[in-house]
Amino acid sequence: MRCEQLDTVIEAVADGSYQLSADEQAHVDVCATCRARLDEARDIERLLQTRAQPVTPASFTSAVMLRIGQERWRAERAIDAGFNLAILAGSLVILAGGAGLAWSLGLLTINVDIGALLRALDNSGGVTSRVLSQVQTVALAATLLTTTLIVWWWAEAATD
Amino acid sequence: MDATSEHTLIARCRQGDEGAFRELVDEYKGLVFTLIARSISNQARAEELAQDVFLKIHKGLPYFRGDAKLSTWIYRIVINALAQERPDLATLSLDDQEIGPAIQPAATDTTFGALLLRDRLQKAIERLPVAYQVLINGHYLQGLRYEDLAEALDMPMGTVKTHLHRAKRRLRKLLETEFR
Repeated sequence: MRCEQLDTVIEAVADGSYQLSADEQAHVDVCATCRARLDEARDIERLLQTRAQPVTPASFTSAVMLRIGQERWRAERAIDAGFNLAILAGSLVILAGGAGLAWSLGLLTINVDIGALLRALDNSGGVTSRVLSQVQTVALAATLLTTTLIVWWWAEAATD
Repeated sequence: MDATSEHTLIARCRQGDEGAFRELVDEYKGLVFTLIARSISNQARAEELAQDVFLKIHKGLPYFRGDAKLSTWIYRIVINALAQERPDLATLSLDDQEIGPAIQPAATDTTFGALLLRDRLQKAIERLPVAYQVLINGHYLQGLRYEDLAEALDMPMGTVKTHLHRAKRRLRKLLETEFR
């Protein structure tokens, strides 16, 4: 009887599903290695059978339902965003189509004379002075836009 | 839960009945949480992963054909979740030669305290391939049958016991070598 042969049935012996033959038992009686292995296998079996059952947190079900609600809300929000984008894209297409139609019918004529435009700007103090005169208005608009975006972002985060 | 009640519960869940899904969670949370918590020491992470499993169940219920028992299907989801959590242990190798050479246990190994062994055992279990972990954790859970284990692990029922012994042997080898 070799120890390696016995090693393959030690777990079955430890859990009681295999009975050692007389030869095998005789080997275990004189072999300290196999005896130690069998003792350890029995220790493992005993510990596995008596392991403490993890306790499911009391709020587990509520937490799952909350996450399901959040997932559903996110999915709905994604659908809303897609819908809004589609509406926007549709509006742009309609506008562009209308403009194209008007242009093709000769109802819309755009003439741009860059040279005349630049000369007009130069005559009235140049591009820089024109831009500077509008800085206050542009800054106010940018501040309003930024504030709106921040408030929107905060509201979205608070809802999450 | 008998087959008829299970079928009714699934049908109600599919109709969007939140109360039914709450019942389903209450019915299976013990199984799911225990299997996961016994494989992952970090309890917060174990709870999060168990919640993820129920989210997957919620999403997957419309596609659940009912060929297998609900518990078996849930069991598979748990295995997949654990395998994703520990991809290094995802593959079930049935080759015991990978364990490494067996060494003779030292004399003191037979006399270590139960508490120390319990701690080493837990660490060793966490090093087993996921399927072995679930096999051991599932087998020593009350109410989980060999048939469920066999179906979930896609093994013939007759081999489950063999694999269980191999899993425990691998545990013992780990305790003899890496967790002495």
